[in-house]
Amino acid sequence: MADTTEVPAGEAGGTQLDEARQGVVDTLTDALGDAVLGSHVQPGHGSWLRVDRSAWTAAAEAAKYQLGCTFFEFLSAIDWAPSPWGRYEDAALEGAAPSLPEGPFETGYAGGDTRFQVVCRLANVRRHEEAHLNVVLKADVPDDDLRIASLVPLFSGASWHERECWEMFGITFEGHPGLRHIYLPSGFEGNPLRKDFPLLARLVKPWPGIVDVEPMPDEPPSGDGRTEEVAE
Amino acid sequence: MGLVESGKLPKPLTSLLNTARKYSLWAYQWGLACCAIEMGAAFASPRYDVMRLGVIPLPSSPRQADVVIISGTVTDKMVPAIKRLYEQMADPKYVISMGSCANCGGPYWDSYSVTKGVDQVIPVDVFVPGCPPRPEALLEGIVLLQQRIGREDMAERWRGDPLVAQ
Repeated sequence: MADTTEVPAGEAGGTQLDEARQGVVDTLTDALGDAVLGSHVQPGHGSWLRVDRSAWTAAAEAAKYQLGCTFFEFLSAIDWAPSPWGRYEDAALEGAAPSLPEGPFETGYAGGDTRFQVVCRLANVRRHEEAHLNVVLKADVPDDDLRIASLVPLFSGASWHERECWEMFGITFEGHPGLRHIYLPSGFEGNPLRKDFPLLARLVKPWPGIVDVEPMPDEPPSGDGRTEEVAE
Repeated sequence: MGLVESGKLPKPLTSLLNTARKYSLWAYQWGLACCAIEMGAAFASPRYDVMRLGVIPLPSSPRQADVVIISGTVTDKMVPAIKRLYEQMADPKYVISMGSCANCGGPYWDSYSVTKGVDQVIPVDVFVPGCPPRPEALLEGIVLLQQRIGREDMAERWRGDPLVAQ
């Protein structure tokens, strides 16, 4: 344990934490070498590191044993494709083509090359002065080969997160002791958190709440196409 | 009881039995979401005092309940449990669907996981609208159910086919 008395409160401590955040990226880059594809440090928030999926387990292992990030916060995936059904609840009515736009997609911190990314956040909860030290690991998963290594051997708590990610996005975690449905009823077809997953209720019936959209008194109806349907 | 099943129960006796039944409703609480908080306020607080209506919210199992209140979001994964709950209850049995979610899906009308109304699974006697309904609304739903029980021809109910969820 480091001597905590030297850590001043306030901004000086924040600066020190930011240096530690950069240190997180540096340590992992040293450990993983070429497998690191991108990184990002956000002062006051945290560190992001994008690794090749072949180094997924190695990255988590390095974070756990070299940085002391022994606390597994969460694991999930991101579908970066914009929704083919449109942005609003009634957009599907207006003939939005249910076809996915081609990449490249807008991606978040540390970049990305594929539609799907697996994200995992690990935190160091042991040292007081690094209480907020954490790292977000990301890995690209190509569409035609949705597989990545399981983190269950490192963090037992990853099991349910990976089961959820598997059923919601269709990403297989190799080495997971039992990939089966956790939230959805068994026999459910499809991956609901993918952007192209059709919400049948919207296709069958228009959004019932649309009748509630009324112009304010003494105001002309706005021209965004949503209030005009009411006027008909 | 044989008299009831035979349908030869004199009318005044029927209404007497109905009055006895409707003021001794053992209500099973099936709280699934935030509506359960309002149900708790209605059933467990002296402010609303559901017992003055003759409702006893204390059955220890569905087998001892006369009415079940489905309050909250019913998901497809919950449906088998609700079917089993309903089939465990002894006839005559009643269902109150409380809140928009249990009535029709509510704000989750387009969700991939939410059942669009518990009446797709089990027969519902009274729908209580609201998101969530205030405790007074649930009490009104109970009063409506009691009116319905009061008008019921018990012999008709007993002679009919047993209600089984499809």
